[in-house]
Parts: sequence; C-alpha cells; structure tokens
Amino acid sequence: MIFVTVGTHYLGFERLIKEMDKIASRINEKIICQIGSTKYEPKNMNYFTFVEDEEKIAELYKKARIIISHAGAGSIFAALNYQKPLVVVPRLKKYNEHIDDHQLELAEVLEKEGKAVVIYDINNLENAIKKAKKLNYKRNKGNNNLIKFLKKYIKRLEDENLHGNINSISS
Amino acid sequence: MKIALVCSQGGHLNEMLFLMEAFKKHDIFFITYKNPTTRALKYKKYVVENIGTNIRMMIKAFFQVFKILIKEKPDLIVSTGSEIAIPPYILARFMRIKTIYIESWCRIKTKSGTGRILYYFSNVFLVQWPELVKLYGKKAKYRGAVI
Repeated sequence: MIFVTVGTHYLGFERLIKEMDKIASRINEKIICQIGSTKYEPKNMNYFTFVEDEEKIAELYKKARIIISHAGAGSIFAALNYQKPLVVVPRLKKYNEHIDDHQLELAEVLEKEGKAVVIYDINNLENAIKKAKKLNYKRNKGNNNLIKFLKKYIKRLEDENLHGNINSISS
Repeated sequence: MKIALVCSQGGHLNEMLFLMEAFKKHDIFFITYKNPTTRALKYKKYVVENIGTNIRMMIKAFFQVFKILIKEKPDLIVSTGSEIAIPPYILARFMRIKTIYIESWCRIKTKSGTGRILYYFSNVFLVQWPELVKLYGKKAKYRGAVI
C-alpha cells in the first residue's frame, strides 16, 4: 500500500493529488490519500480529507510500503519515525500550495542526508515510486538532547520558584 | 509546575507531542487551533479560531488568550509555533510568565514570521538547526532537535 499525505495546511496540494490519481490508474497497488484542503476529487484511489484520530494515521504509516508526502515537518517527521521509504514533493508558492517556499529547505536537507527522494518535477513521481526503497535511518528516541534541555530548564525553574528567585534564570 | 503548551495543528503539534516526555510529569494544558486533528487531543485544551494573517482574528485571540492565562496562571509557556503563539508570548511578558519558543524543525535557512516577532518576547529562543542560530542572533540557541 502507498500512503500519500499532504498535511493539515489550509491550502490544497492539487499538483500532487492529480498526479497520484493518474499514476493510480496505471499501477496495481492500493493507494490511500490524505488530501487535506485539496479541492480535486481523486477518481482512481481511496482518499479522505483529515482524520481526528492520530492513531488511524499512525496505522496508515505503519502499514504503508512507501510514504509520499508534502515537505511538511509533521508528515516527514512521522515517516522517518516509522522508518519507511519516503518520497517528498515540496509545496511551492508559485502554484499557491503554500505561503512561501520554505518546504524546499527541509526537502533539500532530507535529500542531502539521504533520508528521502525529493521530487521537483512532478513528472518524475511515478519513477520514484517504482524505485523507492527503505533508507538507512535509525531513530534515537531515548537520548534526545532537546528533551533533556527542556527537562533541565523546567527543573531549574522549579527550584528557583521554590526559592523565590525567579529573575535570575537564564538560558 | 503549570505549563501551557501552545501550537497550531500539523507539524507544530507533532513536534510538541514528541517533546511531551519533558512535560508529562507537570500540570499541562494546550492552547491550540480548532481543527479536526486537535479535537482528538487527549490533554486539557483551549481552542482558538485560526488566525493566519488576519489582524482581526489576532486581536480576538489576544482577548481570548488573556482570559485563559488569567484563569490558568501557568508558570511557563512552551511553543513550537506558529502565529497562535504571538498573543500568549506578548501577554506573558507583562504577566511575568516564563516562555520558551522552539522554532519549527522545518525552518532551516529562513526565519518564520512568528519567530521574527517572538525572538524579542521569549525568555529562551531555540532553533532546531545550527545554521539558523547565526541568522537570528545571539539569543537564539541550538540545543538539539526533535529528530
């Protein structure tokens, strides 16, 4: 199964959904699409707009053979989390898919670090799906520095609150 | 310790949920947008309507958030963006509430609109890519990322 996700942004992502719908008519694999605010209604694949239950989305990530995603932090973050082959199509401002082109930044880094295949020309999507394979990526959940930093800061804030000396905290 | 977690839906929420391990021992509540993906959020929460770039909605959110902060009196506010964080961070300055702003993981080489403003209003300003520290200035710190 191929899971396609375009996130929760208020702008749609027609370019990706339309191309996926075309590809769906040619390939013999089940495709499930989260189309978000996209107005185009797919004819050749299963789709839904949003889900309330995060666990349902998690299930799709788990079951999928490949994830095809916009370059939004949430979707990519999840795909990397489940260590699935990832094909990323950045939303672009010129097609009114986002308010700016910042999705290119994350896409480029992922490409450079070998964590995803990035599609800049939508015509290359079908080929990328055929070639997508599991990328070598291991997540390091138990030892996250950002979580450690936050814990430490909160602990210090607690201690200083106890001593009534709130003003002396710095980062 | 009472902590307000402020974020919009999507990636901002995912990043916050990932960091939850740092907050879960504490008395927490969310301030987030009214949206299908935040409706199922299993934590205490207050929802405001989408602000986007609408000034009128921003002003409305200021009043709404002010009431929430008066009622809840958090010791700390943490946000992973986006613009929903602007009202609570500006208000927190006057209410002597500590704030940590974490720029979204998706910002690598450019500042977000919210980050540009909240750089001046937060006690701790974190970015998730070392490249971004220089762009923001001295106050910005890189202390790791969600992934």
